[in-house]
Amino acid sequence: MEQEYAELTCTACGRTVEHELRHVGRLLATTTCTACGHVVEVAPRSMVPAYLHDLEHRVTSKPQRMVRRARRDPARFVRELPGALLRQPAKLTAELWALVRGR
Amino acid sequence: MTGQPTPPRAALVLLAAGSGSRTGHSTNKVFLSLAGRRVFVWTLDATAADPGIGPVVLVVRADEVDAAHAVLAREAPGRDVRVVVGGASRHASEWSAVQALLPMIEQGEVDVVVVHDAARPLSGPTLFRQIVEAARAHGGAVPGRRQSVLLDRAGLSVRDGEAVGVQTPQAFVAPVLVEAYRAAAQAGFEGSDTAASVERFAPDVTIQNVPGTSTNIKITYAEDLFLAEALLARVSFDLRRLGTASSGGGG
Repeated sequence: MEQEYAELTCTACGRTVEHELRHVGRLLATTTCTACGHVVEVAPRSMVPAYLHDLEHRVTSKPQRMVRRARRDPARFVRELPGALLRQPAKLTAELWALVRGR
Repeated sequence: MTGQPTPPRAALVLLAAGSGSRTGHSTNKVFLSLAGRRVFVWTLDATAADPGIGPVVLVVRADEVDAAHAVLAREAPGRDVRVVVGGASRHASEWSAVQALLPMIEQGEVDVVVVHDAARPLSGPTLFRQIVEAARAHGGAVPGRRQSVLLDRAGLSVRDGEAVGVQTPQAFVAPVLVEAYRAAAQAGFEGSDTAASVERFAPDVTIQNVPGTSTNIKITYAEDLFLAEALLARVSFDLRRLGTASSGGGG
């Protein structure tokens, strides 16, 4: 699960402080206020349709994104393509697992 | 070669410097991932197909210049974007951007400057087009949405009167904006938004209100990220399908 931090305003404590953000795939799954611990999250079950919709968009837009990367730096694209392909099954499995076990 | 002069275009100033001080490993919220793209890139996407919007100035903090270039190379390749370092306030950042555009304004290549808060990723192409057209026609244009009620702070009682929630993008005829910001600099004035400086130092200029949209949210609260993501998913990540001003709903 991807994790990043950003300063956002907390609706619980009202302070603008660092929040921990966790994603499943490209979708935001939870945010946690580092000051008061207030958590905002999408219930895993209700996230499944959104995840599948997003996955469909990721798959259909993938060729276009790959062409863009290949044009930008062909040598790097060729060098990194095998590894990127090999990582996909594990990446998708991890995302699905995060949804199933409720993060 | 036809020899015909290129018509002037609008320049987009994208304010991404934010305010306050970030500590530790915290990311500027406009650099956060939103449905696969950084928050500020959605605005570049919304304006990419508009031939009337040309050069873009992205205003960032000094320590985020490299990150901005990396995102632009990855997510907006080929887009004409100049990255400049902002100031300590929104007003100072706007002035930095206007100064970066001065040569193009003086040569007549840019006739309108559109200033937009990068934390509003869902403005959509229609609002940008309407704002630029209104600024050309009237001198300035600001999107706003009527607020249904106002609450008194102490007792939370409903107060009479109307209020308009002002949004961005805000657009102004370029020479007007330059003169207003020069006058503001001389007077030591810091406006809360772009319109504030124009209202104060170019009072003869009409600032037209363009109806804002309900989807033009500003990422402020953690919940806003979830909402923005849901709104994008609802239109299949195509900003052209976002609600226009007329369909934006009330409040």
